[in-house]
Amino acid sequence: MGVKKRISGCVAVANGVKLADVDVICSYPIRPYTGIMSELARMVADGELDAEFIHGEGEHAQLSVVYGASACGARAFTGSSGVGVTYAMEVYSPISGERLPLQMAIADRTLDPPGDFGSEHTDALCTRDQGWLQGWSSTPQEALDMTLMWYRIGEDPRVLLPQYSCQDGYFVSHILGEVEIPDAAQVKEFLPPYKNHHVLDVRRPQIIGAQIEPAMGPPLQYQRYQAVEGARQVIKQAHAEFAGIFGRSYDPFVEEYMTDDAEAAIFIQGAHAETAKTVARRLRNLGEKVGVVRLRVFRPYPTQEVRLALSKFKAVGVVDNSANFGIAGSSGVMLTEARTALYNLGDKVKTVGFVGGLGGEMITHDEFYRMFAKLKEIAKNGKTDRDGYWLPFEL
Amino acid sequence: MSFKEVPFAGTVPSPKRENEGMVTGNWRTKRPVLDKDKCTDCLICWISCPDACIDQSTTGLAFNLKYCKGCGICAEVCPSNAITNVPELDYAD
Repeated sequence: MGVKKRISGCVAVANGVKLADVDVICSYPIRPYTGIMSELARMVADGELDAEFIHGEGEHAQLSVVYGASACGARAFTGSSGVGVTYAMEVYSPISGERLPLQMAIADRTLDPPGDFGSEHTDALCTRDQGWLQGWSSTPQEALDMTLMWYRIGEDPRVLLPQYSCQDGYFVSHILGEVEIPDAAQVKEFLPPYKNHHVLDVRRPQIIGAQIEPAMGPPLQYQRYQAVEGARQVIKQAHAEFAGIFGRSYDPFVEEYMTDDAEAAIFIQGAHAETAKTVARRLRNLGEKVGVVRLRVFRPYPTQEVRLALSKFKAVGVVDNSANFGIAGSSGVMLTEARTALYNLGDKVKTVGFVGGLGGEMITHDEFYRMFAKLKEIAKNGKTDRDGYWLPFEL
Repeated sequence: MSFKEVPFAGTVPSPKRENEGMVTGNWRTKRPVLDKDKCTDCLICWISCPDACIDQSTTGLAFNLKYCKGCGICAEVCPSNAITNVPELDYAD
């Protein structure tokens, strides 16, 4: 059985990577994700983990190193934050295109400006359409568990796709939580060794990422589309197997909190969901019918599950912790995607966007009270005045 | 081309020397021409060609014009001035 420790999200992920027994790690420093790499460097130096630890000359190099490592048949790990994530942008699509299931941890940080060290989902959300799997953890325990789960899902022969394992910077990455670090034998049972059928091998020469003709573009993109879509089923299976082996269960796509008979709900992803839950619980104590729905997997977007979860409310407030300037609805990508999921239901569920927590600011209890009050008003009147509100300026 | 005809992830089973579906020499504006009397077979052009389109044949070096883009590096590096860049418009083909 595992050991319980109080550790941060960064150290939790490092423990997950160690348990996954990775072969190649490539680092480059940027706060806040650096905590993962310093812990992994210590593990390698102390002989706890047998892996090649390579220091890249930048994030573009980091991703290129793990790209090559994964193509050679190594289980590979890298990570970044903020502008580091966007600097490596060119390399993401080739990795998913060549179907190499490496993992990248992202501990969110704002882009420049404001360029502070605060958490914002903007960095990771920029990468959402690169053909990778992607999801957010809201606690250090979940961050460790998702490290193992993403490898298991991504390396499944039916999927073979890279994964972004995301967590909020600071709110998860640097705040200690009680984490059960599983036993290596349990992990071995859950996560079989990485095997890919198109690895580089001098005895069987082949080109990975060859220049192709335009006519090969549509079928290749269709292959990748099918892999991302097909991952849905594997995500469900992996979560069920994980619960069986480790005794911790997560709803694969959306977690519902106090949603029974709720009329209004906050729909949110990441660490701020925990604050939203606290406020929802207090409002429940006052007799308000409110709940919280937390999105766990962003890619592939769980359209059916989101539709099912949100269709029972009169009003849904979709919280965006990212800056999406000029987007439809003037709020954020969480709102546009939630609305697309709900579109076929007509006007049954009123949706409104709340942009909050930018620059790494807390989304405070008070702000969540104001959001729930706005949702109560929308549920009562059956109409919305506007698509979205930027907090704290507009609500 | 149908979905099933495309190799998994575009991976080509073994390196192919030439791909007839992707001939890229047709944007060349100058053609390298070798003076075999001056050529000493030093192979500096062969190793310098960025497109690996200089072949070593039994009758000496030959330019593979299906892929040569006329960059002129071979003429530039040749120590015995055996290679000349001739404008493509001087040729009928």
